Amino acid sequence: MRKIVVSMLAIIMLALINPVLAQKKENKVVCFKSDMDCANCEKTVGEYLKFEKGVKDLKVDHASNTIRVEYKDGKNTDEKLAKAIEKKGYKAEKITPEQYKVIVEKTKAEGHHHEVEVHRERKD
Amino acid sequence: MRKLIILFIIVFPFVSHAQNLRGIVYGNEQDGKQPLPGVNIFWQGTNSGTASDGDGNFEIRKQEHQHMLVFSFVGYETKTLHVDNLNKLEVILQPNLEIEEVSVVRKNRGTYLSAMETIQTERIGGAELHKAACCNLAESFETNPSVDLSYSDAITGAKQIKLLGLDGTYSLLQVENMPNLRGLATTFGLTYIPGPWMESIQVSKGAASVLNGYDAIAGQINAELKKPDSNEKLFLNVFGNADSRLEFNGNTNIRLKGDTLTTGILVHGHDLSAKNDHNNDGFLDEPLSQMFQVGNRWKFNNHQGYMAQAGINLLWEDRLGGQVDASRNMTPSVDNPYGVSIKNNRFDAFFKTGYVFPNGRTAVAWLSNFSQHETDSYYGLTDYVADETRFYGSAVLTRDLDISGWHTLNSGFSFIFDDFDEMLYGSDIRRIEKVPGIFTEYTYKPNANFTLMAGLRADFHNIFGNFVTPRMHFRYHFANHFTLRGSAGKGYRTANVISENIYMLANSRPLSWKRDVMQEEAWNYGIAFVQNYMLLGRDLTLNAEYFRTDFQSQLIVDRETSSEYILLSPLDGKSYATSLQFDLRWQPVERLDMLLAYRINDIKQTIGGELKEKPLTNKYKGLINLNYTTNLKKWMFDYTVQFNGGGRIPRYPGDMPLGQSDNNFTSFEPYTIMNAQITKYFRYWSIYVGVENLANFKQENPIEGADNPFGPQFSATNVWGPVMGRKIYLGLRFNLNYE
Repeated sequence: MRKIVVSMLAIIMLALINPVLAQKKENKVVCFKSDMDCANCEKTVGEYLKFEKGVKDLKVDHASNTIRVEYKDGKNTDEKLAKAIEKKGYKAEKITPEQYKVIVEKTKAEGHHHEVEVHRERKD
Repeated sequence: MRKLIILFIIVFPFVSHAQNLRGIVYGNEQDGKQPLPGVNIFWQGTNSGTASDGDGNFEIRKQEHQHMLVFSFVGYETKTLHVDNLNKLEVILQPNLEIEEVSVVRKNRGTYLSAMETIQTERIGGAELHKAACCNLAESFETNPSVDLSYSDAITGAKQIKLLGLDGTYSLLQVENMPNLRGLATTFGLTYIPGPWMESIQVSKGAASVLNGYDAIAGQINAELKKPDSNEKLFLNVFGNADSRLEFNGNTNIRLKGDTLTTGILVHGHDLSAKNDHNNDGFLDEPLSQMFQVGNRWKFNNHQGYMAQAGINLLWEDRLGGQVDASRNMTPSVDNPYGVSIKNNRFDAFFKTGYVFPNGRTAVAWLSNFSQHETDSYYGLTDYVADETRFYGSAVLTRDLDISGWHTLNSGFSFIFDDFDEMLYGSDIRRIEKVPGIFTEYTYKPNANFTLMAGLRADFHNIFGNFVTPRMHFRYHFANHFTLRGSAGKGYRTANVISENIYMLANSRPLSWKRDVMQEEAWNYGIAFVQNYMLLGRDLTLNAEYFRTDFQSQLIVDRETSSEYILLSPLDGKSYATSLQFDLRWQPVERLDMLLAYRINDIKQTIGGELKEKPLTNKYKGLINLNYTTNLKKWMFDYTVQFNGGGRIPRYPGDMPLGQSDNNFTSFEPYTIMNAQITKYFRYWSIYVGVENLANFKQENPIEGADNPFGPQFSATNVWGPVMGRKIYLGLRFNLNYE
């Protein structure tokens, strides 16, 4: 019985370490400007993209209409990811990470009520 | 109702007696400070808030006790200010380059304690329902600290739950906020709601709101099923375990007219045809069983305040347990193997509708359901045949008494009709219950931190006469981190003496009862204290709660006084239950949810003139639940350990130890159960594999006298631990959404 506890803990530890190790490898980053405009669309795109090959991290935001994908180099390409977004019916105009940062910043300055929803959801 | 609450939240800041606090919010940009519009501004721990306008200006009502003002906005550090006067504020927010809240895959907490509910409530969401093998409602509680799950006997496979250490019958079981799975469905009802059909479960402890009826002595469990207007287009699930249990679940939602008129179809089927006798006692470890269920539900929502839902559900179930050689078509006789055969057919229908008046201050709702249940069974040589027809209807009028929504009144009437007909030992027992009732509940909510609810109902029972049910609850959220809740209330329950204890027939001693129906009566008091903190940037919840139930009248199952009968008799003396529980929820590592819980039960009843510990009840329960998901939630790992305390085994005068050593004869030792599961998510489907009872702990001799089932020593009802050992299972889910 003790053995089982130990092995279970080992599995959990492995699970914790694994993503840390995985992130050490060089990942490619690609950013897109899109036209989602609604929280549901954001969810659709996010749920779809996260299962594209090699995707390691993802930020989809309907407020700034931006998508940032981090993926394992060699497993996927910027073009294929753009196609995946278009397949869901949204624009995927490639932008540089610098442009991405600017757009995201700008959106903040313009204001958006996105955070309000997130907050409410967390409260109850 | 929800509309009212939302309205209440909106209206509240403009009508309270407090004063206005004004200010302006800036963002600290590279080119100096710029006014920041749309910043979310609220008093910590409340829902009363506002947003800054186009020029960064804001105005918020300040109550005297409110001091901690929170400013939060996407992309900026959240700022909390201590405010104790009404001077104009100037606030500068620092940009935060990491956009945290925008990431798509936020981790859903499986179970959490609500800070907003007035009654101590645990919400079990869809994420939690993915954690367990979860074939049905009963098994959904395997990872829950408050609800205990056990077998009622070692033959029928019936499962029972305990809330606050009290039998499941003392909790009001609801499906979609309507009482359900009562009467004849009590024994097997928890296995009647397939896990994949459920959207969420709410477990509330202590006296419940009077709106839901006079039962709910220990608490209330409500299962919400999947709604036809949800995003889900198609869901399919198959499941199999190492004992060759196969299960299929599926549901589909059809949008007939956008999201105005929608319908959903749900199906469930399972089959266990393989005979498993792992402990070699000649008895099946679990009965052979088949079940088929189909449901169809409709929802109409005009999105202007009117909503209606209706549905039907059909169920067929067949179980065959007992000795390995028992067969479905044998005649019950001492020359044949010992068998237990149970067939259930059930029809359910519901209709509920609600309307919120355009002023948003008044709402009316009607809730009703109907069920027809037939049971045809035998336990060894004893036949039990019964049928029940039941109707429940309730109308509620909700009204805000003042424009601010400080005072709300919920009033209405309800009606229960129950026609019960059962046949045991050759006598036909029939009764009809008719219970019209009226109720009213007053809610005082002067601000988001305080709620007081006082309810009263009067019911006019055709058998038990008139009775009054008072109940009271309060919730107080203070000093940002603390929520205190209290409740007190009376509860009544109709005990269907025979049907609720029918599994006791798997025993050599026959049942003996004085009355076939009686009313149970109890007071319940409870207090709960919840603390919420941030520890290393992650939510930490600490909960402590204490509940006490005092029975004035109760049905006692006495297996200890008589060597000839199992006595089902009314309580003569004291009977009480206390439950003290502590739990802690935290994420020690990102995306690793940890739950630690410990509960002490003290449950005593007067049995045969002596106040004794209730038999087959664990003295304590500890629980550790760990849940880890990888980034983007592609993998999920779950691990649960339950530490169950020991307890007492009921023995009658002249009962002889058979096989067990003497010290295991009158009591059982603490034991541990572990479950683990791994889930891998793909775009449209997910696969899960898991192990139940990893440590393979089994109760020795769950069936006493198994070698002579028609002899005087036979008993399959002294079950306190798992009958089945380690079991591996595998399942697949497929799911397609509307976009």
